[in-house]
Amino acid sequence: MIQSIAQKEFISTLRDRRFVVLSGLLLALLLAATLVGRGSYRTLQHERMVAQQTVNEQFHNQPNRHPHRVAHYGSFAFRPRAGLSFLDAGLDSFTGASVFLEAHQQNSVNFSQAQQSGSLIRFGELTVAFVLQVLVPLLIVFLCFSAFTEERETGTLKLLLSQGVSMRRVAWGKIAGYGRAVALVVGPALALAAWLLFGEEEFAHNPDVWVRLALFVAGYAVYFFLWIVGAVVVSARQRHARSALVLLLGCWMLGCIILPKATANLGATLFPTITKAQMDADVHEAAQKGINGHDPQDQRSAALKANLLKQYGVDSEEKLPVSVGGLVMAESEAYTSKVYQQHFADLTRTYERQNAISNWAGLLNPYQAIRPLSMGLAGSDFAHYVHFQQAAESYRYQLVQRLNGLQASMGYGDKERKLDAATWQAIPTFAYQAPPVGWALGYLLLPALALLLWAVGLSWLGLKLIDNTPVV
Amino acid sequence: MTYLLEAKDLRKQYADKLALRGLNLQIEAGEVFCLLGQNGAGKSTTINLFLGFIEPTAGAAYLNGLEVAANSLKIKQYLAYIPENVMLYPHLTGLENLALFSSLAGFSYKESELLAYLDQAGLPAEAVRRRVGTYSKGMRQKVGIAIAVAKHAKVLLLDEPTSGLDPKASNEFSELLRQLSQQGTAVFMATHDIFRAKEVGTRVGIMREGELVDVRPTAALNANELEQLYLTYMQ
Repeated sequence: MIQSIAQKEFISTLRDRRFVVLSGLLLALLLAATLVGRGSYRTLQHERMVAQQTVNEQFHNQPNRHPHRVAHYGSFAFRPRAGLSFLDAGLDSFTGASVFLEAHQQNSVNFSQAQQSGSLIRFGELTVAFVLQVLVPLLIVFLCFSAFTEERETGTLKLLLSQGVSMRRVAWGKIAGYGRAVALVVGPALALAAWLLFGEEEFAHNPDVWVRLALFVAGYAVYFFLWIVGAVVVSARQRHARSALVLLLGCWMLGCIILPKATANLGATLFPTITKAQMDADVHEAAQKGINGHDPQDQRSAALKANLLKQYGVDSEEKLPVSVGGLVMAESEAYTSKVYQQHFADLTRTYERQNAISNWAGLLNPYQAIRPLSMGLAGSDFAHYVHFQQAAESYRYQLVQRLNGLQASMGYGDKERKLDAATWQAIPTFAYQAPPVGWALGYLLLPALALLLWAVGLSWLGLKLIDNTPVV
Repeated sequence: MTYLLEAKDLRKQYADKLALRGLNLQIEAGEVFCLLGQNGAGKSTTINLFLGFIEPTAGAAYLNGLEVAANSLKIKQYLAYIPENVMLYPHLTGLENLALFSSLAGFSYKESELLAYLDQAGLPAEAVRRRVGTYSKGMRQKVGIAIAVAKHAKVLLLDEPTSGLDPKASNEFSELLRQLSQQGTAVFMATHDIFRAKEVGTRVGIMREGELVDVRPTAALNANELEQLYLTYMQ
């Protein structure tokens, strides 16, 4: 029975010119977004790879230099884009692409696309995720708003039910039929995405990307299912198609436009972030409490030197086997790193609290559940950004401390000498390893749970409501 | 004795109107009961109560011995229903509509069988593969008749079934009803058409303001007498 109704809905939908036009437009948008997204991904990925190779070569090809000069010369870490980020750019356009790695300070990740592009990017890009999250639900609304109202208004519902079908089965049949129609629109774009993705050597044998894509598709399947069930239930409970359409469009506006902005504003109000200037001032003030490696008059440096003399049992710096300057730099770096990490951790926590408001809102609004899930699986969410930031900082700290170690090993009078250029070639360059899907899922439990709760709750409650819907 | 259709003190009260005032009625297998009455007399309410689409305020409707309100899904297997204005799915052809409704009733017919039902209902052969959106009201009505016949139901509930049919098709439909009643089908037909009621009915009932005011065997009246009786009650 359900299969017969599903087939009837599917065929009727395909023969409806309005649906053909709307879905054709949407499919064209999806395919365009997939191709443009993939093109943009490849361009950016190539640019960042070339830039990373260039700075790595520049680092390795430094001439004979003092290690601390090398530490100040520094390097750059470029954030590679995640494989699926061409489907959902998430925060990628707004978070930076590269970070300058140097001694004494942890720089923020800069040069986002939004910084370098016109203001239009702030209105959002046309990505596959945007089409799937915002426009496909609109198609579903137009497809399903008259699912029951039209049957009731024309009288086919009575004829249908007189055949011995329950309202619940009719509803499931309609849900299955509309689901097929939506899959027909979305499927080709996702198939194209998979073909583009796995057609390349980079991802062909990468199970992590396979799993991410499978979960990405599953997440959207649940999201569309929710919209279809919701629209069918609203249609069953409303007497007229017009009122069902108005109600569904209201839900769409509330869920996809108003609530996300309202919760983002609420998050920013409840958990305000400090300005960059304030953070720089705070970090500077806190760093003053540690050893200043560049100040020979610093009393804490003098104390460290005294301890070293005592440790090695010598009476002057000249007799020490290590460079006091190098060890002071290492001590100073350890302290300032701790200060920076503390402040960056506080800032990150504030952003996470802001995001948490939006994520919890996913329990009220499925759009706010699929959005973080989609970004997280695409590797373009805040957690993945922080992961890169921390990896870059970890590399910077190890690099600078390695250079400080080299300086310390040069002994007294190191400032007058240089190390051979071959030394820099032995230092490993930055190579970012993106986190696996298992790590990402740890951050996505709430949105995934919210989406599943919606699916179960709406199916149960919605179909119960349909059971009790008067036929005439 | 188990009647195929039975109403026991059946009442339906809407918020502002008493639509049915204690209907008592029994219809046996092979009987064609025609219910006459003006618009708003309670004919459609009676059919909706037998279909289980609305619940009675008091009393009970029975179909094939089963109380309708308690078995609203189960009783559907014993009945077929033709509304006044058969509306089908406009994007499907007549053949596809018949196949769909038959499959929902649990019948899986071959195409040749479906075509035979449509032919029996009088749908022109050239129309069976056309989308129903292009059909006239009469053509849709014929598909509705085919749907009802293909269900092989024990009870036929008809709400102005000949509305929109041309005289020839109406006569063919009357003939079809006679055949079905001879095969033991109980027919309950709400109609305004006194001539049709006299022609096909075995009994005729007159309903006024929710009350069944008179029931007569049609054999006891000629068409004029029936018309006079009806007009008397409607005054």
